[in-house]
Amino acid sequence: MLEIRNLRVKLTDEDKLILDGVSLEVPKGQVHAIMGPNGSGKSTLAYVLSGRDGYQVTDGSIRWNGEDLLTMEPDQRAAKGVFLAFQYPMEIPGVATMTFLRTAVNSVRKRQGEKEFTTPEFLKRARAEATRLGMAEDMLRRPLNVGFSGGEKKRMEILQMAMLEPTLCVMDETDSGLDIDAVRVVSEGVNRLRSKDRAMLIITHYQRLLNYIIPDRVHVMAGGKIQKSGGKELALELEKSGYAEFKSRAA
Amino acid sequence: MTVAITRTKAEQGLSQNFEAAAAQLPGGPAVAAARRAAIGAFAALGLPHRRLEAWKYTDLRSALKDAPPPAVGEPRALPKSTELEAVLEALAEVAAHRLVFIDGVYAPGLSHAAAPAGVRFTPLAAGLRTGQAEASQALLATGEREAVIALNTAFMTDGALLDVAPGRALDKPLLLVFLRRSAEARLITTRNHINIGAGSRVTLIEAHLSLPGAAAGQSNTLSELRLEADAQLSHVKVTLGGRGESHVSTGLPRVGAGATYRAFQFTAGTGLVRNGIGLTFDGEGGKADVSGCFLGRGSEHIDSTLVIDHAVAGCESRELFKGVLADKARGVFQGKVIVRPDAQKTDGKQMAQVLMLSEDAEFDSKPELEINADDVVCGHGSTSAEIDKDLLFYFRARGIAAEEARALLIESFIGEAIDKVEEAVRPALMALARARLAQLTS
Repeated sequence: MLEIRNLRVKLTDEDKLILDGVSLEVPKGQVHAIMGPNGSGKSTLAYVLSGRDGYQVTDGSIRWNGEDLLTMEPDQRAAKGVFLAFQYPMEIPGVATMTFLRTAVNSVRKRQGEKEFTTPEFLKRARAEATRLGMAEDMLRRPLNVGFSGGEKKRMEILQMAMLEPTLCVMDETDSGLDIDAVRVVSEGVNRLRSKDRAMLIITHYQRLLNYIIPDRVHVMAGGKIQKSGGKELALELEKSGYAEFKSRAA
Repeated sequence: MTVAITRTKAEQGLSQNFEAAAAQLPGGPAVAAARRAAIGAFAALGLPHRRLEAWKYTDLRSALKDAPPPAVGEPRALPKSTELEAVLEALAEVAAHRLVFIDGVYAPGLSHAAAPAGVRFTPLAAGLRTGQAEASQALLATGEREAVIALNTAFMTDGALLDVAPGRALDKPLLLVFLRRSAEARLITTRNHINIGAGSRVTLIEAHLSLPGAAAGQSNTLSELRLEADAQLSHVKVTLGGRGESHVSTGLPRVGAGATYRAFQFTAGTGLVRNGIGLTFDGEGGKADVSGCFLGRGSEHIDSTLVIDHAVAGCESRELFKGVLADKARGVFQGKVIVRPDAQKTDGKQMAQVLMLSEDAEFDSKPELEINADDVVCGHGSTSAEIDKDLLFYFRARGIAAEEARALLIESFIGEAIDKVEEAVRPALMALARARLAQLTS
């Protein structure tokens, strides 16, 4: 279970709080969505969960399966099963996608006390997953994300997620910049990973993605706080009424 | 009016060493005369210093403290072939036709005997003795304006005279190995003269290495390369000289019509390196790519200075240099592109990028465009940066530990340059680079 308690976060070199007392619980086996207007603090929450530099937690806690995430380095968190699908996946010229994937997967497996994959084992798995996501095999040989379209980059994030088999998946605006076919493929990839051992947190501005990935709970975030929580129908309400009500409440 | 010129200890030493060794240097009377003229030219010029623009950042006059005696004569004993394999590291894996020089002298015992079909090989020393080499005016150039060329002419002991017949595609690279072995500090001076016949395709690897136990010394090497029409030469120079080594290299390629010259310089683990290239396009439609990768640590100093002369129209030149500098290492890139008035439709681009692993490292970059034609496309750029924190985070968020992430990022950074090397040689270069990167980041 992911337990976020009264989380207050600011940028290291500014005073203004971006997250102003966020509390949230995501039990294993559930998919929660966080929706909210731009600047509400959604992406900050994703980065703080994964341990990015540049943020300072002034109050509160994040526990994952009872362990304090905030004291861990990003790679330690990954070894504990935390995965962030980036809104803007980075291009890494000179590192073949397959090399990156294999290094990541074997690093995590080693830390989890599991046997590292041999190259043929790994290739087989990666190819099978790429095929399921409708990705051409030659993408695995190319430098990671270099020259990939927006949709290809997002598929690559889901491919990484499938290969790393995390237990806490945080998806930051995974649908942004995708056409409807790509949203479907990516959503199918995410749905395949739904399981009773896995918690998922889906951050999105639009309700569209939630037509494909049906959440157990929806939280509305504005002004650095969770303003309202409800079932999947809350997303549909928001689609009609917009965020105006929450923006004014936050202000 | 006479100006009293004060010569440094090294400059005086070079002149004295020449007098002492002249009788043992190979060649007949014409060669001896050329050598004497060259040392005379050197005496007037002295070692290059920072007030010469081309040597602004690499002041040999202050860097070279002394003049070790030249290595002359046959080496007393050859290294074992296992020692040679070990020092070649990953290069030993490249299936190549090998020509090995020990302390500046050709070692047939370690070289592959029969030259590949279509290739004529003569050791320079033999060529100088028989007079064959005298046929080349260039070989006897005194270097009236370039002290390092003058010194090369004065002291050259051996090297490769290679002539590739027209219309040949060599199936294996030619590998020239220049190995330092002497347990005493020596000046090693080698010279190559390579002619690639019209339409021929050749890969040449030139490696400057030191055996374990060799004393640090100085080396001066010069390669004259001529590409006839439509010839293709891929030229990889590997310099791993040793921490105390001072290595000065001059490459003088002339690129004929429709010919392609691809050079790649990989430099690491050498005290001081000057890699100078003066390239001239001789015929229209020529192409050149002069790129490289340098890794510096400690107080190593690595200078890549290029002059690309677009003397004729319709030629294309590309340069990409990538460096990684740790500790107090210093990197220098000077890239000058000259576009002559008639050289319309010239396309020239250069880029130098350095990754700084330490605040005490230094990178000096001086791109220069001298354009005298109006219908040209030329560009240059230079960056020096630290490891990108966002990229580092991306790796770490995927479970890769910081150290390994840094190593992969550095590898990816230089990989972009090494990707330019042709496939037969690329894995070997990447392996050489990896081994040095591990030292850089440890």
